[in-house]
Amino acid sequence: MKTKINLSSIAAALTAAIVLTGCASSGVKNPSGAKVTEMKADERGFVAGTGIESQDLVAVTDKMARSILAIPEIQRATIVPRIALLPINNDTRFPVNKEAFLLRLQTQLISKTQGKVRFLARESMTDLEKERELKRSGAVTSETNPELQEFKGADFFLTGKLTGMTTRTSAGTSDYVLYVFQLIDARTSEIVWADQSEIKKQGLEDAAYR
Amino acid sequence: MNHQLQQSNFSARKSVWNCFTASFFPTVFLFVALLLVAGGCATSQPHIPLTGDPIVDGQAYIAQGPKKDRVLWEYRTGLAAMRRSEFGLATEMFEDAILSLGAMMEPDAATKKSRGYFNEEAKKTFYGEPYERVMAWFYRGVLYWMDGEPDNARACFRSAQFQDSDAENDEFKSDYVILDYLEGFVTTQLSGDGSDAYKRAEALSKVTLPPYNPKVNVVLFIDFGAGPVKYAAGEYGEELRFRPGASPVKSARLRFGRQDLSIAPTDDLFFQATTRGGRVMDHVLGNKAVFKKTTDTVGNVAVITGAVLASNEDTQTAGLALLAAGVISKIISAATRPNADVRTWQNLPQYLSFAMLTLPAGEHDLTIEFLTGQGTIIPQLTKNMTIYVNPDRRDNVYYISDQSVASQPTPVPQPDKTT
Repeated sequence: MKTKINLSSIAAALTAAIVLTGCASSGVKNPSGAKVTEMKADERGFVAGTGIESQDLVAVTDKMARSILAIPEIQRATIVPRIALLPINNDTRFPVNKEAFLLRLQTQLISKTQGKVRFLARESMTDLEKERELKRSGAVTSETNPELQEFKGADFFLTGKLTGMTTRTSAGTSDYVLYVFQLIDARTSEIVWADQSEIKKQGLEDAAYR
Repeated sequence: MNHQLQQSNFSARKSVWNCFTASFFPTVFLFVALLLVAGGCATSQPHIPLTGDPIVDGQAYIAQGPKKDRVLWEYRTGLAAMRRSEFGLATEMFEDAILSLGAMMEPDAATKKSRGYFNEEAKKTFYGEPYERVMAWFYRGVLYWMDGEPDNARACFRSAQFQDSDAENDEFKSDYVILDYLEGFVTTQLSGDGSDAYKRAEALSKVTLPPYNPKVNVVLFIDFGAGPVKYAAGEYGEELRFRPGASPVKSARLRFGRQDLSIAPTDDLFFQATTRGGRVMDHVLGNKAVFKKTTDTVGNVAVITGAVLASNEDTQTAGLALLAAGVISKIISAATRPNADVRTWQNLPQYLSFAMLTLPAGEHDLTIEFLTGQGTIIPQLTKNMTIYVNPDRRDNVYYISDQSVASQPTPVPQPDKTT
């Protein structure tokens, strides 16, 4: 009878183990989701791929801002240089919010130079022209003569290009992205400054997706 | 003597029966009880009533359905939205879906479990087979381009081609003609050198591709036919197979002004789905199927042998043990789930194509006819659309499908966001 009881127990234990192994919730991490975690923008988060992410944007724009500030055209300028932004050309395999790169770079430069450079709000030209027309027509007040042309021209254009290379083997995927930024003299078309930043990432998909 | 023998046999059988009921029935009872208890572990899903409207149903499933199917519903809803010219909604759907694709490299409990013996493949978070992932990137690229961001569109076309880069046979790696062609076209439009991409596309293409023309200012994406349908084959449904979708449409014709333009398919998604070669998951499912079969066979042998042994008083205990082990083996077999994942992005087209036009600025009426393999027009699928050529745009990008809702107005392209 002892043998019989043992048999029952063993069988029950085995079955429990089998059935519970197949149970949907056992071993699931964060079954109720994960609490929102605030992270620094330059920190690599727990959700990461091989693409362009916020920490890349922060690292690249920080480096570029430091690099631009060191050039004589900015440091030793007798007249405050005015910079207009040109859209970045994305030549990688990752769609990106290109404005984010230039906006962060612009903000970094404005805050770090404390007025040594000025940026032109070319993306707001339509609204600015409307306002000028309102002033010219007398619909709104104006402190200066609205007939005068006061919109400033650019001394420099700031632009950039993102290019990339991808390798894929059975061992995984490798993505290399090269970030190149340039400051172009608007009068002479000379590239007065250029710098680059490189980031390489590797990863491998779960076997279930290969 | 005979009577005594019969009596003795009867006593022996009774003894075996008592023993059997004393040990086996409680065990089986425990199995059943545990199965019932374990059945309660599965997360119950809310019932989501289907309305028949793909966008309403899709959004309901995205909001309330299983998380593992979210990307699938985003794919379906995004494409349904494109066919109704609801491009804002389509962008939202595909943007979220392709962001989710990045998570394929992240450890995921559901995906890990789907590789286990006792969970089916469909437990994993759905990202789709490579041809489905290609199409998500492709449509996101089309939407970027429509929105005046050709460089981001090109990025999507490259990522789409990348999804197809791990086919087993080199011949079928990254072999979408339209993706290479458009990558080169955008590069040329952005003052780059697209000749390499053009050569790749030309080498892959079965139709003659137009050389890049810088004067082109309208790109019309056209897709038609019904996409591949997944089904499970093999003894236990462990083999993922595809069959072509049911649609008579094999080509299209574009009429504008006095011109007729034949639209031949550049890519066939059924061909793409069936030339990938084996998946790593096929080996996993194959192993599960072998395990299921082996445990079932072992169970059968053990149950029969155990029953025979248990009927003899001398081998009764061993027989019962073998019988119990056989039953356990059968239960393990029954609990093994080798089924292939057949969740399908079911509203995909079979054929992809495009037309490139040079038109003067302003409105233009286009008619797109869809034809059978014999060249017969299917009148109920004919679409009429009015497009607007914005002179401030390098490319005015439009999309039409044989499944498009014809009455939807097409949006006016806004100026380019890339110089």
